[in-house]
Amino acid sequence: MTETANPADPAIRASGLRRSFGATPAVADLELEVAAGAVFGLLGPDGAGKSTLIRMLATVLRPDAGDAHVFGHSVISEAGKVTPRIGYMSQKFSMYPDLSVAENMEFFATIRGVSRADRRTRAATLLAGMGLDEFTTRQAQHLSGGMKQKLMLATTLMHEPDLLLLDEPTTGVDPVSRREFWRILAGLHRAGKTVLVATPYMDEAERCTQIAFLDRGQIKQSGTPEQIKARIPGRLVEVAATEPRAALAAVQGVPGVDSAHLLGDVVRVLWSGSAEPESVLRAALAAAGVGGAGTREVAPDMETVFAYLADSSAGSGNLLADPDEAPGTGVSP
Amino acid sequence: MSLKRIRLLIWKEFIQLRRDPLLIRLLLLMPVLQLILFGYVVAVDVRNLSTAVVDLDRTATSRSLESAFSGSGYFTVTRHVGSENDLRPLLDSGTVKVALVIPEGTQDRLTRGETAPIGIIVDGSDSQISAIGSGYAAQIVAQFNTERRDALGIQLAAPGIDARVRVMFNPTLDPINTMIPGLIAAIMMISLLAIMSQAVVKERESGTLEQMFVTPIKATEYLIGKLTPYAALATAQMLLVAAGGMLWFKVPFNGDFWVVLTGLALFMLTCLGLGLLVSLVSRTRHQAQQAVMFIMIPTMVLSGFIFPIQSMPAIIQPLTNLIPLTFALQVLRGAFVKGSGFEALAVPMLALVGFGVVIFGAAIVATRRRISE
Repeated sequence: MTETANPADPAIRASGLRRSFGATPAVADLELEVAAGAVFGLLGPDGAGKSTLIRMLATVLRPDAGDAHVFGHSVISEAGKVTPRIGYMSQKFSMYPDLSVAENMEFFATIRGVSRADRRTRAATLLAGMGLDEFTTRQAQHLSGGMKQKLMLATTLMHEPDLLLLDEPTTGVDPVSRREFWRILAGLHRAGKTVLVATPYMDEAERCTQIAFLDRGQIKQSGTPEQIKARIPGRLVEVAATEPRAALAAVQGVPGVDSAHLLGDVVRVLWSGSAEPESVLRAALAAAGVGGAGTREVAPDMETVFAYLADSSAGSGNLLADPDEAPGTGVSP
Repeated sequence: MSLKRIRLLIWKEFIQLRRDPLLIRLLLLMPVLQLILFGYVVAVDVRNLSTAVVDLDRTATSRSLESAFSGSGYFTVTRHVGSENDLRPLLDSGTVKVALVIPEGTQDRLTRGETAPIGIIVDGSDSQISAIGSGYAAQIVAQFNTERRDALGIQLAAPGIDARVRVMFNPTLDPINTMIPGLIAAIMMISLLAIMSQAVVKERESGTLEQMFVTPIKATEYLIGKLTPYAALATAQMLLVAAGGMLWFKVPFNGDFWVVLTGLALFMLTCLGLGLLVSLVSRTRHQAQQAVMFIMIPTMVLSGFIFPIQSMPAIIQPLTNLIPLTFALQVLRGAFVKGSGFEALAVPMLALVGFGVVIFGAAIVATRRRISE
């Protein structure tokens, strides 16, 4: 358990990984490599296969075809060598609801063979570090959403795994707890742990060292957040107006506008024309009689990239559809 | 196999059981209450049957015969009527269930050493009453004859009173003595299935089962750790229910303690295994509950608990061998009532062992096969 990762082996190498449920392939011939020490963000709409991939890597789900190696060990034939080095946090809260915080941690650590002395010191450190030390005797079912996730992470860390597989660990958690959670992950990253994290939150994707977009069981794009953002064709312009809906109507159909959609009270326009977008757009707005309009070119953020990638793979022409209107993207505003 | 991990699982399970507010009531209190309640349902009609007496003899003998009936506890004389013709409306309306007709000249006949016929009319609309009521009546008359003969101290040529019972004669055993052992087994099965069937599926629903797969724990360790606390509770339940049934209903215990205990223990393991299997293959708690229902209904109907197997159609009878309760009933009724030993009950006992082996084998296979959904 204290064995350090061999730098020669990537933390994860999956090839030809496939798993279907009935006739529907959840993960289809997937190739993936995650370097040791990375914080690897797994993005994609609901049903893209994120959970299925993570569960196969965690050895709890058997692949139909292909194989994955975790620190050089096959998840199929050497599951017993994989599990001591990983910590798996499922999407759903999966601790015993009627056991207390301390009992849950004690149980899962003991069953993994962590010595009594290690259990004591690690539990104390983890609980204090996560602000759970006041709640050790509270039953898990009576914890708040954020505390439940922290308990699961703490329990997952008790045997000091080298690779953390986290399936949407902050879904349904308040923003303060989410920041707190990522602060802990940053600490683990500094300590040299590898983290594979599925997330629907784009701000979280920005904090990863590597990200991959998963869609229909395959990785469509991967790279650093900067590399991914650079792949968006064209330029992004925000149009602010007193009547945003009127502004949206005015810019739609203007030659050079790839797509336009409302985000809050601004209109976001993806521009692929050769002319300077701001002057063209301002002219169009003025011609339509939209008052109080201003334009500003912005750098594409993850939110935009995600919507673009989700839409382009779905074959839709509307590249910047509001993610909330696209069913199943799981993106919260 | 690691004893340390098994011990840890047992410790965890006990903490959870202790925190389950329903469990103790469901596992210990309810079976005892059910037993007493159902026991009375079985018991109530065979005692204090309302009885009409037509005493046409009006002698010391006829009066002592009547008091033999009323003193037995099975019959309560509620009416005296002047003639047999007056009986019909009483029986029709259900005012009385049994009528005793002592013809004129009964004492004279007995004194002359002749056989004296008397009439016993039993309401045949309730087969339970007619069978048991006539059985008791015959016993009382036989007892009366024996006592009279002993009192006279002489050998008589004729047997004395000849009871002519109008409905068929059905044997012998006090039904409560055969019902209580059956009830003990049936109640044990219901409560153990109900509780055990939730044990694993609860963990599947809460996600802890999946978490378990990321630990070094083995299928057999998991099963032993899961089963042991429940087996301990089930043993407590078994002793409580068996003792409760015997003491409350004063069921005579003719059997060998170890035979009964072995039979109950084998059946208990079969029930726990069956519950465990249901729990392993169910996806949700609701599914598990439904599966238990589907198991319980044929069990109750086909095991011989309610309907005698001998009276089932010949095609159905082999099916009863697929039901563990069938064999548990054979063991318990045999051991409780007849005092049968291991040798006489070898077949049903081995059948229970066979069920256990098959069920637990399937449970291990089901645990090894990982949650593939």
